[in-house]
Amino acid sequence: MTTLLDVAGLSKGFGGLQAVNDCSFTVERGAIAGLIGPNGAGKTTAFNMISGVLRPDAGAVLVDGVDITGMMPHKVARRGVGRTFQITRELGDLTVLENMVVPTARGRLSGLFGARMLRDEEERAMELLDFVGISRLADEKARNLSFGQRKLLEFASALMADPTLLLLDEPAGGVNPALLERMMERIRTLNEQGLTFLIVEHNMDVVMNLCRSIVVMAHGEVVLTGSPAVVQNDDRVLDAYLGKV
Amino acid sequence: MTRQRVEPSVIAVERGPSRRRSRGPLAAVATIVLLLTLLPLARPLIGQPYNYVLQIGMVGLMWIALASSWNIIGGFAGYISLGHNVFYGIGGYASGLLLLYFDWSPLLTWPIAGLLAVICGFLVGLVTLRTRGPAFIISTVALLLMVALLFDNWEFVGASNGLSLPLPPFSIETVKIPFYYAMLLIAVGSVYLSYRVAHSKFGLALRAIAQDETKAEVGGIDTRKMKVTAFSISAFFVGAAGAVWGYSLTYLRPAIFFSIAIAAEMVLMAIIGGRGTVAGPVVGAILLVTLNEISVSQFGSTELNIVVTGVIMLVVLLFFPMGVVGTLRERGKLPSILDWD
Repeated sequence: MTTLLDVAGLSKGFGGLQAVNDCSFTVERGAIAGLIGPNGAGKTTAFNMISGVLRPDAGAVLVDGVDITGMMPHKVARRGVGRTFQITRELGDLTVLENMVVPTARGRLSGLFGARMLRDEEERAMELLDFVGISRLADEKARNLSFGQRKLLEFASALMADPTLLLLDEPAGGVNPALLERMMERIRTLNEQGLTFLIVEHNMDVVMNLCRSIVVMAHGEVVLTGSPAVVQNDDRVLDAYLGKV
Repeated sequence: MTRQRVEPSVIAVERGPSRRRSRGPLAAVATIVLLLTLLPLARPLIGQPYNYVLQIGMVGLMWIALASSWNIIGGFAGYISLGHNVFYGIGGYASGLLLLYFDWSPLLTWPIAGLLAVICGFLVGLVTLRTRGPAFIISTVALLLMVALLFDNWEFVGASNGLSLPLPPFSIETVKIPFYYAMLLIAVGSVYLSYRVAHSKFGLALRAIAQDETKAEVGGIDTRKMKVTAFSISAFFVGAAGAVWGYSLTYLRPAIFFSIAIAAEMVLMAIIGGRGTVAGPVVGAILLVTLNEISVSQFGSTELNIVVTGVIMLVVLLFFPMGVVGTLRERGKLPSILDWD
């Protein structure tokens, strides 16, 4: 296995708060990796730095051996890194289908003269909406979707860009059990097809079920990296969540 | 890197009513444009107020062009520019100077004026579009004030006295006709541009930017490039309209072109008609020009007509919070003749 994502010594502070401090971990190609830790551990900040939304104070992010540190998010996205947001960011005034095809509007000014949506793009978008089970909502304004449906749309639209690495920020948060089951199954299917995942999640059932390697963060630092079995039996993890006894 | 493909689904896709549109609006728009083209030939029908009708027609077409152009950056991309008449002035002065120094008619050089406006828009956009929201609005106002100050003191363009242009070489009976046609061309061009934006990937990117810039970026869209492009192409027909308008006045003065009232009017027209729709700015422009004309004729050119216009606008926005076209579409009551998106 080769390393797809290499996070080396990332740090980020906001004023007096050191959100992420010298954080290093790797994700192997083809893996489903988990990133866990109590609230405020710096998981989302780490995601934001990897995807280019935030610029790190120090450290580097390498994808497939290429340094992408400090690149604009659209450049990171074009290198095959997709992401979803913990609090979904659907484009409310656009229809679900339009939300899906936004990643195809990356291009050149020639985009002014072509169609808004090519037939194959529409087909691909409908296929993905079908895949997550919300294709019947294609023409609905995204703002009319329920919370769970927004999570699914967020997931599907990230897939639209054909990423090689997908960062999921709490895909299970607030999603009902039936939907959760579907989400996990979809993640597994995509992983079998070669997509690499890094998942931030609080639901331990999901994490232990899906992930073969887990990074545990607390107070902005990586506490431990290992398999679910290792993580579950390490006192440091318990300490991180419950405080030292 | 291999592309991952999801297995094509065998489940039949359920869909709402077809989103393919009819050819209805296209035929309607073509008819309107044809009628507008034929209007100057109807002198026997119009009779005495012929020049007045063409003048009002030209003014209406100009505002359609200005509001539609503004709508590209202000409506689709959601960046409110209150300094867009900078390009109007740049276009007016550029063509005026070409007339004075080279004897080239602004009726022919308006595309040059438009291109110059695009170049200026690009350079300005590189700076002002680093900001967003209220900061962007203020930066465009600052730009307008700076350019106004520059033209007020620039001797080469006559400073605050402006420049007088030679009279157009037409008789009093026919003088309005070439101006009317030039403005018609500009208006049709800007509405078509607006239509292209609404129906293209470029427009989709702008609408994504208007909603959530971070999300657009994460979707792979170079938001900065898109915004600067939108800002500069939205300047083209504004500059072009300024060129034709300046020549029709036969004099150029900073106070005429660089008043913030002009920018405000573009914004109002687009908002009243419906921001981010193709037909909205057109409807807004027609509404406001008509309203203004009626209230001037009823109340004279006093402050009163401005009050009346203001009150009516408030009432319109009370009942059509997203503009006439935007609100009607939201309620599913938009006549198909106005459904250009």
